[in-house]
Amino acid sequence: MTTACPGSKAEADHPEAEAALVAFIQRLVHDSSTVRAIEAGEVDAILDPASGRALLLPEARAALRRGETSTNQVLATLPREEYQRLLAGLEPVTLAFGDVLYEPGELIRQIYFPNEGLLVSLLILVENHGALEIGLVGNEGVVGLPLAQGIGTSSVRAVAQGAGTALWMEAASFHQALETCPALQRALHRYTHALIAQITQTAACNRFHQVEARLARWLLMASDRLQSDLIRFTHEWLADLLGVRRVGITVAASALQQRKLIQYSRGNITILDREGLKASACECYQKIKDIFDRAESWPADTQP
Amino acid sequence: MRRKQIVQPSDPAAVAAMMVMRLYVAGGAPNSVQAIANLEAICQQHLKGHYQLEIVDVFEQPLRALADGVIVTPSLTKLSPLPAAQIVGNLSDTRKVLLALGLQGKTP
Repeated sequence: MTTACPGSKAEADHPEAEAALVAFIQRLVHDSSTVRAIEAGEVDAILDPASGRALLLPEARAALRRGETSTNQVLATLPREEYQRLLAGLEPVTLAFGDVLYEPGELIRQIYFPNEGLLVSLLILVENHGALEIGLVGNEGVVGLPLAQGIGTSSVRAVAQGAGTALWMEAASFHQALETCPALQRALHRYTHALIAQITQTAACNRFHQVEARLARWLLMASDRLQSDLIRFTHEWLADLLGVRRVGITVAASALQQRKLIQYSRGNITILDREGLKASACECYQKIKDIFDRAESWPADTQP
Repeated sequence: MRRKQIVQPSDPAAVAAMMVMRLYVAGGAPNSVQAIANLEAICQQHLKGHYQLEIVDVFEQPLRALADGVIVTPSLTKLSPLPAAQIVGNLSDTRKVLLALGLQGKTP
């Protein structure tokens, strides 16, 4: 192929240039499913054999300029058209450790779609005790789920556990968007089921299981959601989340470290042996994970 | 673009049965980011660690992508087990992806 791609000379920001690019791609492409993906707007870049360069399509370039990319898995499952409609109301936000998104009894003004790397704890406040964690949300879910059920106030405190980014949407915009986005409705129904399962399992876990098993469970859950084996937490903070004394966390973490399952120093916890840590965790980790995985696999079975 | 990978099963017996895939993406462009998130979710649910996935950024390795016959991104190539398959797009249609990977109808 010696024909140079039109975009290799003109960084195509104009409709004529975009049309020329699309025509160029269609000349290269003979596979009907690829043509359908191009027509559906599911292609970001083309590779120009003449110049040996990868060239961003105008829409992708514009989206990158506007910061409209998300690694949130709820948003990722949406059809392109629906995702584009939602983008109009979504804004990027950066959160820092300890940022409070909601307090119990207060209005939920925004719904958050965390990106990879952001972890949010859902905490229940009990008088004369600390704030106990009852749910953990990462880029697999959303924070502010009651809005999807038409509920405008929070029953929990939602706190960012470390710095990270998310896309957020004002409650009013979200309600409007939800009515026109059936795939988003289905995705949020699935996530609601998974989060309720996590919360109920955590309630039983907090009552019946030993600190070491609960700590192992929590580290695995956090690691899954962060998609990283490095977790930055102090013993004091973990003790609060799990509703135990600090010394309890220290003893449990030491035991896990002695068995070379984790390594910790100055607030950094690294998972060294995931399978070993799974064996040390209570059954709750796998149960919560299985329910989430099953919920996520529903669309393959239920889409028309 | 930050990317961990490759994911491999720890059990040697499972290596022979694992699926090997390569996903070509365009940096952090929206469809590429969506494709990664969707594929990770599908792998977690349906392959349970029995897969090897390499993510290739075509801005970093355009010639490699061209040599592999890739013309547009995101583009997923299933290398093994045979038959090989290629899927273009953001992989949001889970059923279509499962079908192309030969996983349709298998219990997650």
